[in-house]
Amino acid sequence: MQDQLSALLAKASAELPGLKARPEFEAAKARYVGPNGELTALMKQMGTVPKEQRPAAGKLINETKTQLQAQLDAALARIGAAELAAQLGPAVDPTLPSPDVGPGTYHPLTLVREEMCRILRKVGFVVADGPEVETEYYCFDALNTPSDHPARDEKDTFYFPDSARFGNVSKKTPEEKYLLRTHTSSVQIRTMLKGPPPIRIVSPGRVYRRDTTDATHSANFHQLECLYVDRNVTVRDLKALLDYIFASLLGKDTKTRFRPHYFGYTEPSFEVDLSARHLPKVKKEWIEIGGCGMVDPTVFEAVGYDPDIWSGYAFGMGLERLAMLLYGIDDIRYFYQNDLRFLKQFA
Amino acid sequence: MKISLNWLKDYVQLDASVDEITRAITFLGFEVEGVQPTGAPKLEHVVVGEILTRARHPNADKLSVCTVDVGPAGGVKTIVCGAHNCDAGNRVLVALPGAVLPGNFQIKESKIRGQASAGMMCSPDEIGMGSDHSGLLILDGKPALGTSINEALPPGDTVFDIEITPNRPDALSHLGIARELAAWFKLRLMYPQEKFHGALADEGPRPDLLAGVRVDAPEDCPLYTAHVITGIKIGPSPGWMQERLKAVGLRPINNVVDVGNYVMLETGQPLHAFDARKLGGNQIVVRRATDGEKIVTLDGKERTLSSRMLVIADASRPVVIAGIMGGENSGVSDDTTDLVLECAIFKRQSIRWTSRKVGLTSDSSYRYERGVDPHGALEAAYRAIDLIIETAGGRVVGPAYRIGGDIPWQREIVVTHDYITEKIGFDIPAEEMRAAFEALELTVTREEETEHPARGPAWTVSIPSWRDDLDRPIDLVEEVLRLYGTEKIPVTAVTSPGLLVDDDPIVLFNRRVTDYLVGHDFHECVNYTLRPAKEIATWVSQTAAQELALANPFVEDQSHLRPTLITGLMESLRLNQSRGVTVSRLCETGRIFIEHNGQNLECAAAGFIIAEPVGARNWLRREPADFYAVKHHVGAIAAIGGVDLNWQPLTPVIGPYGWQEGHSACAGDMADGWVARFGLLNLAMVKSLGIEGKVYAGIFALRPEKLSAAETRRRYSDFSLFPAAWRDLALVVDTAMPAADVEKTLAKVARAATGNAFSVEAVSVFDVYQGKGLPDGKKSLAFNLVFRSSERTLTDDEVNAAFTKIQRDITADGKIAIRA
Repeated sequence: MQDQLSALLAKASAELPGLKARPEFEAAKARYVGPNGELTALMKQMGTVPKEQRPAAGKLINETKTQLQAQLDAALARIGAAELAAQLGPAVDPTLPSPDVGPGTYHPLTLVREEMCRILRKVGFVVADGPEVETEYYCFDALNTPSDHPARDEKDTFYFPDSARFGNVSKKTPEEKYLLRTHTSSVQIRTMLKGPPPIRIVSPGRVYRRDTTDATHSANFHQLECLYVDRNVTVRDLKALLDYIFASLLGKDTKTRFRPHYFGYTEPSFEVDLSARHLPKVKKEWIEIGGCGMVDPTVFEAVGYDPDIWSGYAFGMGLERLAMLLYGIDDIRYFYQNDLRFLKQFA
Repeated sequence: MKISLNWLKDYVQLDASVDEITRAITFLGFEVEGVQPTGAPKLEHVVVGEILTRARHPNADKLSVCTVDVGPAGGVKTIVCGAHNCDAGNRVLVALPGAVLPGNFQIKESKIRGQASAGMMCSPDEIGMGSDHSGLLILDGKPALGTSINEALPPGDTVFDIEITPNRPDALSHLGIARELAAWFKLRLMYPQEKFHGALADEGPRPDLLAGVRVDAPEDCPLYTAHVITGIKIGPSPGWMQERLKAVGLRPINNVVDVGNYVMLETGQPLHAFDARKLGGNQIVVRRATDGEKIVTLDGKERTLSSRMLVIADASRPVVIAGIMGGENSGVSDDTTDLVLECAIFKRQSIRWTSRKVGLTSDSSYRYERGVDPHGALEAAYRAIDLIIETAGGRVVGPAYRIGGDIPWQREIVVTHDYITEKIGFDIPAEEMRAAFEALELTVTREEETEHPARGPAWTVSIPSWRDDLDRPIDLVEEVLRLYGTEKIPVTAVTSPGLLVDDDPIVLFNRRVTDYLVGHDFHECVNYTLRPAKEIATWVSQTAAQELALANPFVEDQSHLRPTLITGLMESLRLNQSRGVTVSRLCETGRIFIEHNGQNLECAAAGFIIAEPVGARNWLRREPADFYAVKHHVGAIAAIGGVDLNWQPLTPVIGPYGWQEGHSACAGDMADGWVARFGLLNLAMVKSLGIEGKVYAGIFALRPEKLSAAETRRRYSDFSLFPAAWRDLALVVDTAMPAADVEKTLAKVARAATGNAFSVEAVSVFDVYQGKGLPDGKKSLAFNLVFRSSERTLTDDEVNAAFTKIQRDITADGKIAIRA
């Protein structure tokens, strides 16, 4: 029996390493250890072995079985590895470019807007939104802009015909005209009319001016405005906000300064200059970045807030202008052409 | 407006440097748009010289060595010069050693590249006369050699170009700016002293020159004054006046006209002079024009007037569009000897309306529109009379007219130190606040203690008639802050109490959609909202297009609101293709306008296109995009907008749209507040735009209000941990039958077949076949059915039983057959 077992092992070690595929292997396995396999046959012979030889024979069979199983396992592992290797194909050249398009890119105006919103969010401003088609009341009247103010002229503001109807843009009075908002301040009015103070909003959005398109002007552009209404809001708080915004955007040593100015909806009003040392392509020491002021009591009265109780500030700036300054872009039209070579530069 | 520094110095003793004055004007609240030095500054050792010879510098190509004769100032000098125009014969300005040029540039004898140079020949910018650095300043008219610059050139001045905000018409004059600067520098303001105070010549009234003045429209003309000056002689105005007018950009005309302009620029009060002999009937009538009445204004243009416009007329015809511009028919000419001088107050709104309507503005209308000091008119008239008599001779004769003028003005504002402190948020001493008022001629008529004496006094501040912009305590806060200096507002940390509110739902929608699309390799674009009419017609019906039109477009190709985002993206695609830039995936979020039931709805929208990447050649091929790719993206975007597109019926796109029939679909309705369209763009339309290759697109739009609805919280539902059983079933149907309908029927049949015993977890199509082996007009859809029980492992028998029943029932209505 020992000879038979040895022969069996020898046969297996000769055959098994040569097996290439799983069916061959399964067939071979059956031949050795299957119910009709050779080892099984030998094991069945145990009965014929004299009793005193049985322990030795049993031990021998077990050893053989173990060795055979090891050989089978090795063969199976080898076949399995070969199968996986077959799935691979030749090695890749990792230096070849991916043929897939992309990655996608955010528009620079989105990047700047979102960065500003994140900065403002940290100090409690939430993003508010309102319609781009507005009415004279929300865009002008409520903002202390008299009816013969030049900004309301048809030369400067886009109007819709009297017959135009906008189902989801509410009018204050039936007579007033629809127009394209000239600033996002109308969002301030709608927000204040919606509920009582305190209010702390930032309203980025698209605005329209009837203007010749050139390197610095565009028929539509984007603004970002902040409004804060609460008790005891002061000029000093406004200055603190502006300092905070631009220090966050451009670095701790960035400074702002206020110059007195005039806007109908704020009193006092200021223009805001930014120390320009961190901006590319700007040679001046200071550069104008936006306008701000304390909300005029007239505006509070228009929205039903008591100006003796509430005070607030507002700040507004052009997003294109900010993006142009931050990135050193010198033509506003590039924002609206969407040349991929432009878009890919900011992601 | 242009302001001359020399002129300002008539009213305030300004010793500050130009830079300090510029800063002062800026922080007083007037933007300085330019500072232009004119004439020559006071400089020593800068004299006239003539270049005698010019030779090349032996050691430098771009330099010349010149000999220059400066006459009595030092004879012939050798000077190295880098300018192109240092040619022999030119008379130029020579800065000799010892001269100190602007910017503290000290001139010394020196060696330039080994060549001695005894001074410098000057370009305009080197001597502070503008920014021209292109060459030497060549002097005209052969001034004598050695003459000082200050004799050879007109005296220096600095002209500030200042933007005056519309609330400050009082600053539209030299006196107004001087008042502000006097307050800033704490100096005294000196008003011009008039000699004429209304005394008329003894010779008695001259009705032959002016017989009567009548104001028919007092509501538009609250004050009208007229003085008659006889015996004047028209001629050029004196040099000092011409110089000042020229410095601020006005062309001198003659003594009378120049005085009118001068006094307007001094005081802000416009004036007008008539030739008395040209006033028909010796009458002045201030009235409304009649409709269709005509006047030829001084600029030579005929203007047609209407009945809302105010004119100054003689007995028969208008001679001036009031406050805006005079007529050719009545102005002063070279032979004028008798003048009628008008100095009036017109209503702002009337002037503004007329000016806009006629399309005519002037220095006069600019000031009237913004508001002229109602109590300064007479003084301005007297000032002008002084100057006319001084420059043109003559005498004032009667009768003098003053009609109206009882314009009430008494304004006092009570403000407390406490109030101002509360608004600005930091301390300014009470004395400093009070001083600020006084410096601006806002007289404090009373100072009182308040209930809280520690918080400072209350002031009663009297507002002068030229400061109509000051009306409320808050307006005085700005005055204090202006004079205190807005640069000195203290720095503090920002305070930020939370307000427990989230960003607007539209903002969140746009942000999430953009994140999704950019994450799927799209490039975000921004396009204009206004689009051309022609393009709109491709996308919406004609009536809808009409609704989108602006009343007053600025340019033809931006006349309508956009009804879709696709057109802008197509334009971006075309631009990139035309520039040879390969582009495939573009997206945009923004507002679009959709007509619904005869009215427009402003909608939030997200759109994208996937174009064939024309021009892209790749070593490894990728499958091109198809309809189902854009369906996938639209579904994802709709989900962000709260719409599950899987449960929505899809219909083919019909109508005048840019979509390709049979290869596009739409879902939703504005009645539900949203709409989605997606698929292949019309091939012919794409081609007509000059775009190469197929373009797939998708757009999802919804009413912003729809997003405002509170989201309902999702609820978890239990899922089975037992194994599933799978069966496949191929069905044959008409090719026209939508797969979704077959699927729906199959799912229904399957659910009926399994009953309550176990559930049909999924029915999904995995193969679509048409062609050989099937009859014409038929297609095969192969479905995979997944069965599962939540309580046990299903047996083959029960699944088979259900599957058999499904196969029997699905064919029941005859529209669906089992594929053999």
